[in-house]
Amino acid sequence: MALVKAKKNAAPVPAAEAPGADPRAGLSDSDAAVRRQAAHRLAQDPGAVSPLADRLAIETEPGVREAILTALVRIGTGEAVEALLPLLAREDAGLRNAVLESVQQMPGESVAPSVVPLLGHADSDLRIFAVQLVGKLRHPERPAWLAGVLEQDPHVNVCLAAVEALGEIGDPAALPALERLLLRFPEDPMVGFSVDAARRRFRGG
Amino acid sequence: MTAGMNAPPDESSPGLPPADYEMLCDFLRERTGLSFTEAKRYFVDRRVAARMAAVGAATVREYMRLLRFQASGEELQLLVNLMTVNETYFFREKYQFDCLVNSALDEVVRGRPPGARVRIWSAGCSTGEEPYSIAIMLLEHWRRVDEFEIELYASDIDSSVLARAQEGIYEERSLQGLPAHLRAKYFRRVGSDPDRWRIIEELRESIDFSHVNIVDPEQLRAFRGIDVIFCRNLLIYFDDLGRREAASMFYDALAPNGFVCLGHSESMSRISSLFVPRRFPDAILYQKPVQGGLP
Repeated sequence: MALVKAKKNAAPVPAAEAPGADPRAGLSDSDAAVRRQAAHRLAQDPGAVSPLADRLAIETEPGVREAILTALVRIGTGEAVEALLPLLAREDAGLRNAVLESVQQMPGESVAPSVVPLLGHADSDLRIFAVQLVGKLRHPERPAWLAGVLEQDPHVNVCLAAVEALGEIGDPAALPALERLLLRFPEDPMVGFSVDAARRRFRGG
Repeated sequence: MTAGMNAPPDESSPGLPPADYEMLCDFLRERTGLSFTEAKRYFVDRRVAARMAAVGAATVREYMRLLRFQASGEELQLLVNLMTVNETYFFREKYQFDCLVNSALDEVVRGRPPGARVRIWSAGCSTGEEPYSIAIMLLEHWRRVDEFEIELYASDIDSSVLARAQEGIYEERSLQGLPAHLRAKYFRRVGSDPDRWRIIEELRESIDFSHVNIVDPEQLRAFRGIDVIFCRNLLIYFDDLGRREAASMFYDALAPNGFVCLGHSESMSRISSLFVPRRFPDAILYQKPVQGGLP
């Protein structure tokens, strides 16, 4: 028979991964596997936000980036959120998307204080990211913040992102703000289409 | 590390309020055709409570909004999957085992010398039907099975199901998917009981069963160089972060170019960007790329 009894843990543990090794030092090891293990271990250390974020800013290996992002999500503090948000302005779309997904998984009470002010940022791309993040927040003020975007944001793409987020939430209380958006952008066919789609979803269609 | 898995709902809790239970059942019936009467209340309550905890929904109404309006429909699919999973059985979702023996393993052993190790792990093996099914599929259907030394690992976080897996005794209904000749070859009746069968010792002894929390990096350190991980219908019990951490643990456990096999309603693409989906004739698997590159 070709099945043999398994022998787990046959491979020796590298010194840099050993329990006594300093995981902060491990973050700059030349071996990506060691950097990943260091990130896993630092996920338990709320004081490790700064070294994790510093490494993330220069890390190019996707597996290590993912380990660092997951560690920061697990830490989940406001400081961890603040360390991630500047990366939304990076040119690297893969990193931006990974950061966006990561912040969406962090606790609402940690995310809201840093992300809600971004709804008023000068850069409309950042405001779109902020809308997407607010749309996923577990926070009772979420529909009101998004309705505020519909009422005030000058950029139609930011408003359309807010319509989509409100459609996902499915709270019919947003309908008046949606109707007013139609009045703000009467000539834009995408606004009409999106608001109509949101209306249908609120009715369960 | 904190376990990503949610604690089971408190069995002493009163469950969903009657109006909420009725509203949810109406919705499920309307959307899926699944019907749950009051007699199924315990079954429904536990699963809904687990999913509400996983997504952080404080009320049934909030959870219903997610089910109704989520554009991807992912949560509804996960709940439906939970509602339709009663028990496991041999050769369940066999097309994935077909994929293992028809495609994935041939790719795994490409370039390996005869006698090399091949490691397969059933993560969340429950009462053992999955790892034993894998063993039988390998012995019966992988043409190169005798060329390699194959190690089979099986783990679960629940020690009671692990004990049953190691005992290897199954009732008739678990074996219904098995052809008669395989039952005759790999099982023996337990005493004179016509409804109970025990898997042969040779197979029981060939699998390494262990008690493992798959999001604990210290426990997972023992799993390295794995070629194929089966983790089917387990991650649906985790929240987003727990799923992500589990995917990360699998990434570390896998050999380069190793595969993860998820349940039919699960998608790694929604969990982690670490893996590359691979479409084989029988199934889609998720592959760990060689470091920094594509498979």
